[in-house]
Amino acid sequence: MVIEHDKMRSLAARMTQPEVRGRSPWADARRRFLRNKAAMTGLVILLLVALFAIFGGQIAVWSNEELDFSVMGQVATMGQPSLENGHYFGTDDLGRDLFARTVQGTQISLLVGIVGAGIAVIVGTLYGAVAGYVGGRTDQIMMRTVDILMSIPYMFVLILLLVMFGRSMTMLFLGIGLISWLDMARIVRGQTLSLKNREFIEAARATGVSTWRIIIRHIVPNLLGVVAVYATLLVPLMILTESFISFLGLGVQEPLTSWGALISEGAGTMSYGTLWQLAFPLFFFVITLFGFFFVGDGLRDALDPKDR
Amino acid sequence: MSKLFTTTALLAALALPAQAVQPAPGETLADSQTYTYWLLDAIKTLDPAKNTDVEGSDVLRQLFEGLMNEDATGAMIPGVAESHTESEDGLTHTFTLREAKWSNGDPVTAQDFAYAWQRVVNPETASEYAWFLELMNIQNATQIIAGEMTPDQLGVRAVDDKTLEVTLTTRTPYFLKTLSHATTFPVPQKVVEQHGDAWTQPGNLVGNGAFMLESHNLGVDITLVKNPNYWDADNVVMETVRGVTVNDNNIGLTRYLAGELDRVQIPAGQYPRLSQEYPDQAVSIPYACSYAYVFNVSDKGPEALKDVRVRQALSLGLNRDIIVNQVLQGGQKPAYSWTHWAIEGFQAPDAEIATMTQEERTEKARALLTEAGYGPDNPLSLSLQYNTDENHKKLAIAAQQFWKPLGVNITLNNVEWKVHTDRMQNQDFDMARYAWCADYNEATTFLDWFRTDGYNSGKWSNAEYDKLMADSKTAEDTAPLYKQAEEILAEEVPAAFVYHYSKVDMINPTIKGLPTQNVTNAWYAKDLYRVAE
Amino acid sequence: MFAFILRRLAVAVPTLLLLIVLSFLLMHLAPGGPFTQERALPPQVLANLNAKYGLDDPLWRQIWNYVYGIVVHFDFGPSFVYPDRTVNQLIADGFPVTLTYGTLAFLAAVLVGVTLGTLAAIRQNGWLDYLAVGISIGAQVLPNFVMAPLLVLVLTLWLGWLPGGGWSFSDPSFWIMPVIALSTSYMASIARITRSSMLEVLGSNHIRTARAKGMPERRVILRHALRPAMLPVVSYLGPVFVSMITGSVVIDIYFSTGGIGKAFVDSALNRDYAVMMGVTILVGALTILFNLVVDILYAWIDPKIRY
Repeated sequence: MVIEHDKMRSLAARMTQPEVRGRSPWADARRRFLRNKAAMTGLVILLLVALFAIFGGQIAVWSNEELDFSVMGQVATMGQPSLENGHYFGTDDLGRDLFARTVQGTQISLLVGIVGAGIAVIVGTLYGAVAGYVGGRTDQIMMRTVDILMSIPYMFVLILLLVMFGRSMTMLFLGIGLISWLDMARIVRGQTLSLKNREFIEAARATGVSTWRIIIRHIVPNLLGVVAVYATLLVPLMILTESFISFLGLGVQEPLTSWGALISEGAGTMSYGTLWQLAFPLFFFVITLFGFFFVGDGLRDALDPKDR
Repeated sequence: MSKLFTTTALLAALALPAQAVQPAPGETLADSQTYTYWLLDAIKTLDPAKNTDVEGSDVLRQLFEGLMNEDATGAMIPGVAESHTESEDGLTHTFTLREAKWSNGDPVTAQDFAYAWQRVVNPETASEYAWFLELMNIQNATQIIAGEMTPDQLGVRAVDDKTLEVTLTTRTPYFLKTLSHATTFPVPQKVVEQHGDAWTQPGNLVGNGAFMLESHNLGVDITLVKNPNYWDADNVVMETVRGVTVNDNNIGLTRYLAGELDRVQIPAGQYPRLSQEYPDQAVSIPYACSYAYVFNVSDKGPEALKDVRVRQALSLGLNRDIIVNQVLQGGQKPAYSWTHWAIEGFQAPDAEIATMTQEERTEKARALLTEAGYGPDNPLSLSLQYNTDENHKKLAIAAQQFWKPLGVNITLNNVEWKVHTDRMQNQDFDMARYAWCADYNEATTFLDWFRTDGYNSGKWSNAEYDKLMADSKTAEDTAPLYKQAEEILAEEVPAAFVYHYSKVDMINPTIKGLPTQNVTNAWYAKDLYRVAE
Repeated sequence: MFAFILRRLAVAVPTLLLLIVLSFLLMHLAPGGPFTQERALPPQVLANLNAKYGLDDPLWRQIWNYVYGIVVHFDFGPSFVYPDRTVNQLIADGFPVTLTYGTLAFLAAVLVGVTLGTLAAIRQNGWLDYLAVGISIGAQVLPNFVMAPLLVLVLTLWLGWLPGGGWSFSDPSFWIMPVIALSTSYMASIARITRSSMLEVLGSNHIRTARAKGMPERRVILRHALRPAMLPVVSYLGPVFVSMITGSVVIDIYFSTGGIGKAFVDSALNRDYAVMMGVTILVGALTILFNLVVDILYAWIDPKIRY
């Protein structure tokens, strides 16, 4: 599950082309996106999942940490999904309400995904834009650094970071975010190079606008399409990474949970007659990932239409 | 205590015929005598001096044989030692060795033991279990480890090829019980010196146990085959023993059910179901380990925990019945003492807390907390640290919920094992999960932990307790002293004892001879046999 | 091209050095050491251990000794947790296992993925297409820590077809489940990428020309469409390889294969410094090498690219 770089490059190239038709590419894109069934389905799914994460807590009868002592110890027979006792999704092994836990896991996983992708995109964009715009030796050094960093097995470093600093949300955000800004930096740099010599940038430079301001005000906005698509496609990768970290037991602290933690717990007990412990979190995990993929692909196709 | 003396007396006048493994009447041996058991992780080392874990000891017990072995009830029976005498003052022990051979045919001599023990304390070996010889109180062990004396000054001497003399610094009631521990096994000097660190590789390894090393794929499996040179080989029925590593306990169970393993641990909570479905396979036997939440009462610990009332309240608030009956569900017992209930010669004091109902306990806990100045308007906030593990997590979550109604807010702190240990040893915690397993079948292995100079990570200290433990070393009848010590622990609550372990396993019913009453769970493949179905 | 390879290899050296220093520092900053254990060691025993393994030297000296040992003697040091073995031995034992099932999984992912994707594209909107798309949608996001226990349950317990774990170089029945569990999600991704890029290529002018000339369809696909359609797949292969190595942790845990994935996680958790460093360097070197191979492959497929 990795982003297809060819398509990202093609998209980036298109987004930085001078506008010939005088018509905003965004309006066209919106029209194309709305017509794309898969993308719209994905969007609806994501909205529903978001609603579930935000308002699910209101519907839940139990909190995410209460133990239901009447169920505890006989989860396989008493803890199955039931409307009567309020465990809509059943309970986990300890008798905690799986509905509440899934809601809460959804919040964490989405948060990790979005914040992680956000960090990656911000760092990658600024880094790439600075390298590309400043150019010269700075660019050389910055891009060699990226080359070097590219060759580091990141998951290994992430494991080391979590082992070293202990489990915390901040570490998870940073660690996960730091994994994927490199590609973004490369793409953005390439496009910045081609934007750099366009008239409006030169005009700004001539009027004495500072470098930093040009990057922020003129370069970055022109990269928005790439950034948006990249971010959308990064979120599911971040969620997958988090699930792997949770599987290793390095994820968030109890009683907080995440999809990865819930799924890995559920997978352990799949043959003990408590399949719902796996099914519900896995369902939300899968549909959300697809939601993001469809929306991401749809956005990209909308912004960079190929003649088909 | 009395049992220990019986064993010694028996040994002194030893003429017991070796007990042959025989199928009971009505049983027929299976054609293929193999035993395949589950290992949670890789076997780290096969060097008796360097081994530190239970799984390693299990393998070493088959490859080597010490002075003593354990029988199915955990009582000491002769191994390489044929007889034993003890001097009046209890400081000198003399062992006469039987005619035994190494797997390469060389005779096992007293020098082999002396060499092995000197090697353990030798700083060059850097054994992590060098402290075990200090525990045995062998003369000069401490000084040799510290590099102040040379290894040949250790209080162990080969009088001749078949006579081994051990000198202790002080009378040590449990001394004989330490002699079945892997650290005390003999090693073949020639082989060790010839191959260096690689002497434990298949092909190099020479042992004096009933089995020989056939192959060892790290993290995959280890295979042992019967040793024809073993002194009692005629009575060994089992031919092949295989340990198979399965890192995931649930998968281990699946593979057991598929017939790939003869023994596997039952994952927490699955015992009731499995004992119903497979009544002849699911077993739960007492296992000498105790689980506790240790309170940090050192200077670095939270102020609140220095108040004994708070500690008592926390211990009272812990619903142990739910933990053992509804979380663990494998025949574990609620713990109101530190020493495991099944330890030989141990009588637990009648703690008041044990007889109360949980409602009474909760009520009393509330009262104590109010008295200490904590309540709804001044809630107590503490952190509970545990190392990453599915079961520790479950228990910590349950504990958090038990303490919540008392107005105690618990932050759970899940850290990996090394960090957990490091923080405990540096008193960097409020409350921490801890478990201790017996090194030998006697109460001091537990009680020594809370001595002021014991491991005692919470740094609790009590002069009266220390004195009791010191007195017990020389006392004729130790049971009352241990009881008093436990009473102090119950009153002072340096830790909330949670439960006493059971070993909860699935065992293939055709495998016979596994011990069911040995609380340290030491098993010998030479005693096993497989019957035809 | 040659200069390009040389330049890339020249970058490899500082990269590996950076990796060594970074992981060395991270490791040593982490609380606890290799000999931190439940029964705190008497200070003297601990001192003996530290002296034996040179852990009482200043940090810079340890790094220097370590790098020196590797460069001069190709010696990665001793393992603290497995005292009977050296890191060289541990890697020599574990790496061939990881490499075997990793390579097989990689080949399976590429061959099956590309075939499935191509077939789906040719039969666009046919049942094969829907089937392929459906399978790849499900397989793509199913975490392998769900897949692995499921495979053992079905193939070992229910059907009794395959051993539930373990490893043997001589018996391929041990290889099957690791390969399936490791390759499935990548297979699905590759199929998806192949399908969409194949569709794009099939719609392009030069294919229309070829078809118009009356070239047989099979020849059109194999001779003209496959190569350009492979470009996005090839650029995806570098990251796939790296994630496969990382994913091998799950395989090693569930199937007890004894590979280096688990060795790495264990060494990090156990503070087995030398093993952790050894595996990190190995994986780092492989990553560099593989990225290079992918770049060369890319240039070979797409003649427009010149380095």
